[in-house]
Amino acid sequence: MSTALLAACGAEGKPELHWYVNPDGVDTFETYADTCSTDEYDISVEQLPSSATDQRVQLARRLAAEDSSTDLMNLDPVFVAEFANAGWLAEVPEETAEEIMGSVEGQGSYLAGAAETVIWDDTVYALPQWANTQVLWYRKSLAEAAGLDMTQPVTWQQIIDAAATEGGSVGVQANRYEGYVVWLNALIQGAGGEIVGNTEAGRDAEVELDSDAGRAAAGVVQALADSDAAQPDLSVSNEGTVLGPMWTDPGEFMVNWTFVYATYRDTVGQPGGPADEQAFEDLGWARYPATVEGEESRPPIGGIHIGVGAYSDHPDHAAEAAACVTSTQAQVDLALNNGLMPSTEEAYEEVADSGEFPEDLIDLYRTSVDTGGPRPKSAFYPLISNAVQDQWHSPASVDPDRTPQRSADFLRAVLSGEELL
Amino acid sequence: MTAVKKLGLPLGILLILAWCLLPVVWIISLSLKSEESITAGNPGFLPAEGTFVGWENYEKVLTDPLYDYFPRAILNSIGISLIATLLSVIVATLAAYAIARLEFRGKRLVLSISLAIAMFPVVSLVGPLFDMWRAFGIYDTWPGLIIPYMSFTLPLAIWTLSAFFREIPWELEQAAQVDGATSWQAFRKVIVPLAAPGVFTAAILTFFFAWNDFVFGISLTSTEAARPIPASLAFFVGSDPFNRPASLLAAAAVLATIPIIVIVLIFQRKIVAGLTSGAVKG
Amino acid sequence: MTGAHVATAPTGGAVDSDRTRAENSLGRRLVLPAVVLMLLVTAFPMLRAIWLSTFDYSLTAPDERSFVGLSNYWTALTDDLFWQTTGITVFYMVFTVAVELVIGFAFAMVMHRVIFARGVVRTSILIPYGIITVVSGFAWQFAFSSTNGFVNGWLPFIGDDFNWFGESMPAIVAICVSEIWKTTPFMSLLLLAGLAQVSEDMLEAAKVDGATWWQRLFKVILPNMRAAIMVAVLFRALDAYRIFDNIFVMTNGAQDTASISFLTYRQTIEQFQLGLGSALSVLLFLSVLLVAYLIVKLFRVDLAAARQEG
Repeated sequence: MSTALLAACGAEGKPELHWYVNPDGVDTFETYADTCSTDEYDISVEQLPSSATDQRVQLARRLAAEDSSTDLMNLDPVFVAEFANAGWLAEVPEETAEEIMGSVEGQGSYLAGAAETVIWDDTVYALPQWANTQVLWYRKSLAEAAGLDMTQPVTWQQIIDAAATEGGSVGVQANRYEGYVVWLNALIQGAGGEIVGNTEAGRDAEVELDSDAGRAAAGVVQALADSDAAQPDLSVSNEGTVLGPMWTDPGEFMVNWTFVYATYRDTVGQPGGPADEQAFEDLGWARYPATVEGEESRPPIGGIHIGVGAYSDHPDHAAEAAACVTSTQAQVDLALNNGLMPSTEEAYEEVADSGEFPEDLIDLYRTSVDTGGPRPKSAFYPLISNAVQDQWHSPASVDPDRTPQRSADFLRAVLSGEELL
Repeated sequence: MTAVKKLGLPLGILLILAWCLLPVVWIISLSLKSEESITAGNPGFLPAEGTFVGWENYEKVLTDPLYDYFPRAILNSIGISLIATLLSVIVATLAAYAIARLEFRGKRLVLSISLAIAMFPVVSLVGPLFDMWRAFGIYDTWPGLIIPYMSFTLPLAIWTLSAFFREIPWELEQAAQVDGATSWQAFRKVIVPLAAPGVFTAAILTFFFAWNDFVFGISLTSTEAARPIPASLAFFVGSDPFNRPASLLAAAAVLATIPIIVIVLIFQRKIVAGLTSGAVKG
Repeated sequence: MTGAHVATAPTGGAVDSDRTRAENSLGRRLVLPAVVLMLLVTAFPMLRAIWLSTFDYSLTAPDERSFVGLSNYWTALTDDLFWQTTGITVFYMVFTVAVELVIGFAFAMVMHRVIFARGVVRTSILIPYGIITVVSGFAWQFAFSSTNGFVNGWLPFIGDDFNWFGESMPAIVAICVSEIWKTTPFMSLLLLAGLAQVSEDMLEAAKVDGATWWQRLFKVILPNMRAAIMVAVLFRALDAYRIFDNIFVMTNGAQDTASISFLTYRQTIEQFQLGLGSALSVLLFLSVLLVAYLIVKLFRVDLAAARQEG
């Protein structure tokens, strides 16, 4: 089959594999498109928009059109279930698939938290390339002034109070977009709940928003929105807008992805970055805040997986290329160049050994990925996400007595196709 | 009273100029601010001290490989808009001639169809169009955009052109023929110069529509292969994927506006005539 | 176009002369390409939308497609969100058109009187008209931004860190400002042409009779340019009812700013709910027709006159 295809392509030269990438780390992706091109095929990079929602729409439209030129694609973990369910993703070759399956049980080279998110219906549909997670970033001086002991797990209420009394702020992602769901999901899971359970049931999944966990999460959102610690642009905040306030005294507590460290390190002395090395030294990190005191937090899990399009003309080449661009070396380069952390134990070791990142930070990332909570794995995830955004935005409108219940009713209606979004 | 009158007009002119140009100056000003200062927050109309970077943003948008989707989008927009304009005007000229000059059955129907299409909500079409285009295999290609642009600019073009054609004294053609010109000569020497301004106006308005379109642009494309400027601007990403690079985006927006300003500068009389022709005379 | 035959009135039994027959066929051949093109992209997709709207059909689960009759319409019409977005859309339409009418008329009055600098004024008024709506949306979004804009700094009584996109009403205002800025020139040009129709003699006569400026405006100028005003209102209202670009760019539908077009887009293009989305498409189309009908009836706009057939 593939030889026949090759022969067909031979007349027009080497086949070209199209690799759709998300914009973070594009320079490294370009390098690997070159490195992983072989005598048999070339890889060309196509850039996707920056928001997860737009990335999904662009990819899904091509795949729905059974486009044979969508060979490789960068997938946000939450796309996997929907795309796999629609039959748009090729299965991962058996050997690698077993490795990934084993990793979920802690017996393989991948971090369990990352491996978990490429599996749908007991089948592996993508290769984890890099694993993302959020931690609590803060100014040591701010925590100290507020008398917070950061060696112990802190709660949301604590950091909100601490920031408010010291005139600082708390940075979160609360624009009406996917990032807001990341935060809400972490808050709900941190209180021992879920947005939806039994997600394999698709439209019949159990909506669990109307629970103590849902109310606890709503309580945190409300507490922040009502507090002086809320940033003025809270309702339109994203991963980028919250970066700035860190270096305006007295600074902030901020939950954000792993790219933050490299970003601040590289912007010392520039506008928006720490004023000097000494200021940069004031940057602290700790485990994601707990929703409920005494209960361990569940940090968000993100990252990028590489999927192979089901309609690709060159499935074998694409599978080979996918393995190449997720190699240990590729993962290490992404971490060192772009601050995007690896998804395998081996790559993590190498990154730790490089000395580019503080050791305790690397450890924090790793435990966060392994103990973190993914967003619901559902073929109808976009509906779920959008329904939650619709009901929980803006943060100032969230009320623990009403929002969880109302949003649960709404989500049920949306899932069953009885209500518009 | 007379003082008010004397001052009123210049004041009115100033107000109009301010209204029209302020946002344009604003976006130019934004495009001259440094990217980093935007991330940090740089309020104020003019670049704050030390944040003026000259043409740097323009240079980046046009030459930095990170943004090579933008020059590509310019190419797409120019190509798609020009082709759509050309074809649309040819088709519209034929139809408008028939409507202005000939009596035929179905004329009212044609006018009604074009009026209906002029007010068609394009969003209600993109779903099924997307479905059709992927069946035809023209999803995410130039023709995939050219066809809808043509269809949606035809009503305006037919409207404008038939208003123009109605004003042409067609007897001149016969007069020229009587004077010994062949019918082709008569058409070329007499009618073409009279009709040209109308055709031109229709072309400009059509071009504006195609250049401005957003709904088709985002719905019927998914890569640089055909993505036009407005869609490209909406998906604009800089080096930092989490912060929309406002100043680079502004530079790109200014670049996208230049063709419009050039056209306006050269053809302002024709556009005004085209916009108002046929629409109000009763 | 056999449809053309059916739709036209019979010629009363009279036999067409050769000449009329030739003209008939030439005319139809000349309009054919235009008609085919217009129908290809509208009628055919619209029929398809009507057909799809009777299914429960999601692009991501194509195998689960099932016929549901009219229940998608029922879902949409009994949905609060549908009526809420329709209400907001009507608000956008009424508010922007009203403001544009006033400002556009003032501009037209100025332009009508301007003798010097005529070119400059006309050129600058065409710039907003020609600018890409998305660009206008960005320009105003950044202008209203609390971190990078100038509006908060310029407006008194508004704090420098006021977030325009944090609440529904301010966000809607910001969207309207962008919409109004971009489309007022179009309005004023249509009105300018209408103003040119008002006879100077009549104005002079009114002046001699001692009419004040306001009386002349309401008794002479406005009644005489009624047709122009109505056509401008009709065009702009239908355009405003379809508002989409500015919302997409400025708020992405957050803070209850979504219009009916935006809702339809989200269902079909973003959520791939082709069944429900198609039902919305059909409803959107019908509501545009209704709006057009209401405006034509309410204001008695004479379209035939506007087309110069009167």
